[in-house]
Amino acid sequence: MAEALPARSSDSASVRTDDNPSVSLSTLFLACLKLGLLSFGGGLSGWVYQDFVVRRRWISDEDFASSFAMGQMLPGGNVANLVVCLGEQLRGPLGAATAVFGLLVGPFFAVIAMATLIGSIPQTQLLDIALGGAAATAIGFLINLCWRGVRRESGNPAMLGIIAAVVIGVGVLKLHLLLVTLFVAPISIAIAWRRGNKDA
Amino acid sequence: MRDDHLVGLLAVFVPFSLISIGGGISVLSGIQHEIVAVRGWLTAQDFVQLFAISRAAPGPGTMIATLIGWQISGWLGAVVATLAFFLPSSLLCYGVFRLSNAHREKAWHRAVRQGLAPVGTGLVISSVIAILQLSDGGPLTLLLAALSAIVVVVAPRVPVPLYLLCGAGLAVLYHTAMP
Repeated sequence: MAEALPARSSDSASVRTDDNPSVSLSTLFLACLKLGLLSFGGGLSGWVYQDFVVRRRWISDEDFASSFAMGQMLPGGNVANLVVCLGEQLRGPLGAATAVFGLLVGPFFAVIAMATLIGSIPQTQLLDIALGGAAATAIGFLINLCWRGVRRESGNPAMLGIIAAVVIGVGVLKLHLLLVTLFVAPISIAIAWRRGNKDA
Repeated sequence: MRDDHLVGLLAVFVPFSLISIGGGISVLSGIQHEIVAVRGWLTAQDFVQLFAISRAAPGPGTMIATLIGWQISGWLGAVVATLAFFLPSSLLCYGVFRLSNAHREKAWHRAVRQGLAPVGTGLVISSVIAILQLSDGGPLTLLLAALSAIVVVVAPRVPVPLYLLCGAGLAVLYHTAMP
């Protein structure tokens, strides 16, 4: 601990940098607790980047990018997966557990507190209307997410077809989600594989 | 009875945790179907309300799992549902990250990544369809959803609670103006 650590970008050759002694578990916990508690709706990944990479310089750009991709392609919340990967890089298994616990413990109590507050107000028609309005507004965030996903594949008819197939199967025909996913995902990966080989 | 509910929460959320590609929101329609239609634990209206509350609260968008557990089985239910929904996917992510980190430059890794992205998008769109069908608010719901989708693109930094408050206000205004 005597010497100051060099700039983190210089050691990008080492793939794993766990047990980084400069980050204590309590610091990691507090950083994730703050992220969880102060993040209102979406865009949380950008905040993680700002805090972990830009401000604290715990993680290199490259390691962040690969962790982010991993978190998106696996099941689970994108941000929860992201902090699992970053926590593992910083402090190994205990770091991963600390990070995801820190991220979720604040929102756990906040969301129940919010539901309790709303539940204690006597139900009126006006409150129903207001909650309905808020719910409808929240759908807008999801539509934005869909829009960005479709735009990402816009030059790619095969992938647009994959999106359409999932929407028809799950959204319109109400087939079992797992069934559709297990059928469509291998086709989609095969398409991506062939395209990748063609480009190379 | 209570134990049945806790086991039921595990049975619902563990599988959905492991197939929620594209984020927890992608399995929202599936969770809604299980909780409302199959098991009848909540009404469709309850579910939509919990969704709105979970979006207004801080944290990941999928804290609705916590609320569903809490509504059905109190504090213990909230803990069980939260763990059941977040732990399996986190463990899977952890394992895959450690194993595949050494291969991240390989072509198969990129193909899996790129192939799963549109599947996730399709699942999120399906969730939007399910929620719109559930919410049963008529043209006002569609209007507010479209409006907020536009605003979120133009002004992404507006705090979400402010957003939802405006939506609630507009809905009340609409109903007072034309009863």
